[in-house]
Amino acid sequence: MEQKNYNIVDVLIVGAGPAGLAAAATVKKKKPELNVCVIDKGHAAGNHNLSGAVLEQQALHEFLNYMDSHLLESEDAKTILTRTVAHDTISLFTQSSAIPLHALVSCANFFGFNIGAMLHKGDYIVSISQLTQWFAKIAASVGVEVLHGFSVEELVWDKITKTATGVKLIDQGWSKIGKKQQNFVPGEIIQAKYVILAEGVDGTVTRDLIQKAKLVREAESLFSIGVKELIQVTPEQYAKFTAQRVVHAMGYPVSDMFGGGIMYPYVENCIAVGMIVGLDWQEKDFNPQDALATFKEHKFVKQFIDGGTVVETGAKMIPEGGYRTIPRDAETNSIGCGNVAIVGDSAALVNMIKIKGLHNAIRSGMIAATAIANSEISSAFAKNYTKDLENSAVVQELKKAQNFRQTIARFGNVVGMPLSILGNLLPAYNVEADYKAMTQKTYKYKGKKEFDKAQFTALAHIEHREEQPSHLKILDAPTCIECAEKFGQPCITFCPAGVYEDIAGTLKAANASNCLHCKTCGRKCPYNNILWTVPEGGGGPQYKRM
Amino acid sequence: MSNYIVLVKQVPDISQISDNAFNPETGTLIRSKLANVINDLDAQALAFAHQMRALKKDESGKIIVLSMGPPMADEVLRYSLSRCADTAILLTDRLLGGADTVATANPLAFAIRKIVKEILNNSEDYYIITGMQSVDGDTAQVPAQIASELGISCIGYATHVAYEGGRFEFSSIITGGSQTVAARKMPIVITVAKYEHALFPQFALTRKANATQIITWGAADINATQIGLKGSRTQVTRVFPPEKTTRQCKQITNIAELAEIIRNTFKEKSEEEHTQSEKKAQYVLPERRVSTFDRSYDALDADCEAFALLERSLQTHGITNVAQITEELTETIAGELEQSMNRKQLDELLVALKIRTPKYSGDVWVAAECDEGEVILSTFELIGKARELADSLKVQVGVIIAGESVSTYGKALIAAGADKIYSIESPLLKDFDPITYEKVFSETVQTYKPQIVLYAATPQGRALAPMVSYNLGCGLTADCTSLDIKDRSKKGEIAVLLQTRPALGGNVMATICTVSSSVQMATARPGVMKRIAANENRIGEIIPCPANISKSDLSIEIIAKHKASGKVNFDVPVIVSGGKGLRCKQSFEQLLDELKASLHETLHIAVEEGATRAAVEQGFCERLRQIGQTGTAVAPQLYIALGISGAIQHMIGVANAGTIIAVNNDPSAPIFKQCDYYIVGNVEDIVPQLVEALAKEE
Repeated sequence: MEQKNYNIVDVLIVGAGPAGLAAAATVKKKKPELNVCVIDKGHAAGNHNLSGAVLEQQALHEFLNYMDSHLLESEDAKTILTRTVAHDTISLFTQSSAIPLHALVSCANFFGFNIGAMLHKGDYIVSISQLTQWFAKIAASVGVEVLHGFSVEELVWDKITKTATGVKLIDQGWSKIGKKQQNFVPGEIIQAKYVILAEGVDGTVTRDLIQKAKLVREAESLFSIGVKELIQVTPEQYAKFTAQRVVHAMGYPVSDMFGGGIMYPYVENCIAVGMIVGLDWQEKDFNPQDALATFKEHKFVKQFIDGGTVVETGAKMIPEGGYRTIPRDAETNSIGCGNVAIVGDSAALVNMIKIKGLHNAIRSGMIAATAIANSEISSAFAKNYTKDLENSAVVQELKKAQNFRQTIARFGNVVGMPLSILGNLLPAYNVEADYKAMTQKTYKYKGKKEFDKAQFTALAHIEHREEQPSHLKILDAPTCIECAEKFGQPCITFCPAGVYEDIAGTLKAANASNCLHCKTCGRKCPYNNILWTVPEGGGGPQYKRM
Repeated sequence: MSNYIVLVKQVPDISQISDNAFNPETGTLIRSKLANVINDLDAQALAFAHQMRALKKDESGKIIVLSMGPPMADEVLRYSLSRCADTAILLTDRLLGGADTVATANPLAFAIRKIVKEILNNSEDYYIITGMQSVDGDTAQVPAQIASELGISCIGYATHVAYEGGRFEFSSIITGGSQTVAARKMPIVITVAKYEHALFPQFALTRKANATQIITWGAADINATQIGLKGSRTQVTRVFPPEKTTRQCKQITNIAELAEIIRNTFKEKSEEEHTQSEKKAQYVLPERRVSTFDRSYDALDADCEAFALLERSLQTHGITNVAQITEELTETIAGELEQSMNRKQLDELLVALKIRTPKYSGDVWVAAECDEGEVILSTFELIGKARELADSLKVQVGVIIAGESVSTYGKALIAAGADKIYSIESPLLKDFDPITYEKVFSETVQTYKPQIVLYAATPQGRALAPMVSYNLGCGLTADCTSLDIKDRSKKGEIAVLLQTRPALGGNVMATICTVSSSVQMATARPGVMKRIAANENRIGEIIPCPANISKSDLSIEIIAKHKASGKVNFDVPVIVSGGKGLRCKQSFEQLLDELKASLHETLHIAVEEGATRAAVEQGFCERLRQIGQTGTAVAPQLYIALGISGAIQHMIGVANAGTIIAVNNDPSAPIFKQCDYYIVGNVEDIVPQLVEALAKEE
């Protein structure tokens, strides 16, 4: 019998999130003869997926119906898609009150202003972690190979043809001090005809592609960080909150920042409480978890969660820049290059007025799959995908929202929010990268409530092999000393897992094995002095219901 | 060409355990709440096998993995295939379910026979490699029992392997250190206690593993002789949550007071336990009880209560003898007790009352262990326990001891509470060899027929006990923390040994009874049972027993023995631990050493040093000292935490410690809410003061 070469696949998808799995399942359904393989650095399906999440029904239904018309009636659908938004609570928080904005936003919606898209009525309230587990099951059921625990180091790039011949996985088994351990295995090379990058926000392979294929972005990428706790409350509190309501609160305690608090109902009397803050905050001692703790103390929030138990936690970045920050090939305008396409959050397909990207992730995955199925020439893949995406609902809505985030970044909430109603009539502002925003300012509500990072980290169930070299690279040590003087080393404060510490005068990623893979450090170090690289596969958080 | 048969087991992932994974009423684990993973030590065993093959530079040697479990256990086989295994076999059958260690070892041994015959062409050149124990069972019995079934030897607790002069040399842990051994005979079982370098999955192998159809064998394929519930020799009678200690979190400001607390921790403990054992009524045989109907020594409280009700009722009717109970009277009593029990239950009790003879007869024995020319402490502890059991059973305490010249220990053993010393002497017994020891112990037990044999749960005891018990067809319970004689009247069992042990990494307690066996055997954790004061005037008898073994029985060659330096033994009464708060390696070492020495001098007990993950990360000490979720979980009587903040990951690892004392200069350190006593202050200042205070009032 001929020995099959298992290092060769037809379609390789990096990242088993909703985008990657939707792409994988769709392409396998369209072309069953192709070997379709999805790899992910997480330990198991859904482990690295965190979102609010509200999910527009249409994109999900398109995917599910395409895969199998019975999926919407399946047991999984019944457990994962049980809650839909009936009530939007949009509020402006002050320290002691919550001013409802719902009427205002509804009104804007009525007049067709962009900002009306903030409404979520009819959307599913889902756990993206569970949704991803389901997608993985669906993909596997049609013959996709979904393999967890594999981290990609880089693309194997052919400069001449401007295509990838595959990817190289990272070496495993280096010791902390860079010696090969007994179990060392060099990173395997996986050859692939098509590569889809579906890594989620700020992907490291996407970064590699941008560099190797010289992709460009029209505007600087912008990010926010979301920190989230799943809190188990009493049945009475849960009933009071209802399973059909989502709360979005601007203002206190992040009045001067882009962002706010969220509350979504989950199953088993759990309410997800989170804080999303744009990474362009200016306060050197700010930590989104402090804001979350303060938010939880607000009387509106407290009534629903007081006395509750935090059962799971997590943190993740959101790509906020929108349409103009999609990385593209300078010549062809492709989102990707040659036989490599970028989908979902890796391509920044989040609509910041809606604060939603999940539907676009699923759609972009399906569009990429279709592009593979429809074209014989793999080197035209990125081009064909981009063409289809530009004509799709994804880009249409992204274009509408393209100036929103930047407008607010430029003018602040008070002026920016109302101004953004003008939508695309506004000029396209360019704003600086998030890390440049840091100032000497201090956070107003600092110390109001101590946040227990250790507890937070424990409930994200993070695990990494301790002996591996740190995957968090501090590029230049003297810079940290300068930072200490000027800003007091904000990474120590803002890292939600408490990874960074000053040890005897030297800044170290002392607890790299606690890393939540939120990647905030790589984007918010005021000197851009931290490089987030991918650790050995199988590490990181293990989200179950995030 | 050597081949490697690796045994792997699927277990619940207890590292992810949380309180809601347990049924709050029964304390049993809700299995569905936890993910299933490969037993960590089995993963290490696989890497060990892989390393052996690499060392021998013989890639033609096969690695065959074998697992027994439900169909979903194929995941652990795919785990193995995705790393290095060539072939994977799953032994799965409903008939194999509900098995104890005997009924697990037996079918596995038969499956190994089938592998040898069908895959290895009857070659004898193979190693059976497996994790020393599984995290869910924690018994460490199955490998040794497999060896016993196959009539081969076992090298336990291996941590390292080298290939020297054409043969493998294994480092293995023994009581008080380690030794380098080689096999004299093939095949042999190797159990792996710690091997750092678990293998990584490989992409191509993972894809291949997923595409592979796993070979599945059922009970009919292997013709095993002892399977399932029927083939088991032990039975779990009760599972319950361990007692949770609540910490008092008391701040201490005076160093002298702290020194006093430390001293009292050990004083109070012994007094407390003393009174406790007094309070706990010693078992009395039915024939010696005042009332014929007294069944207050039953294992289950509910049964005791039911029997007490019945006893009272019988007494009011003036009944003094079971024979006096008529059908008519039974009717009356049934009416009277209607509220408490139905007729069927009543009948059950009445039948049970007729049985008054103990189920087992014979003495209570302790299997002694010697190390470096001395009987180990655990043996004396066990004699103390055996004395208590034997006294209530009105039998004698026997000690079985084997070695080159061991009758000299007789006097000390008798003084410690033994009545009879069964002494087996032979130059061939100089060092522990599983085969020779199994032979002489089995023979002696068979000749003198004790009803109970207790072993220390040391590396040697945990290898010997399963081999002897399997050889004699008896049940064995591992690592007991409590041993009591009780009745199980309703089962018709009088005066049986209830063996209580922690399971699932100490998350639950299980009480186990021996069934279908002539002798009840158990190993007990060192340090748990209490020795009784030596009495040099005690009288006893030394009975020399034959050693029917020859040189050809020796199965392993001991190349070297190493003293314990560099090894960590957390099984000690006191652990002093340091965290990142100690700032640097030098102060970490200095402060810990200083306090350790002082405690050792003051309390005259073993003290060990530990560390948090953060301290290890800083390079303050070696990783093997790491305590916590990702290090070792410890349960000393006294835990002193220096400069430790109290991260939850660390505190999980000390949850079972007796008294926790914390020193930290941060008044808001979380550890202060999770300890018994704390001092706010710099460790550098507190430790020297404490050392001084401890020395002063001695």
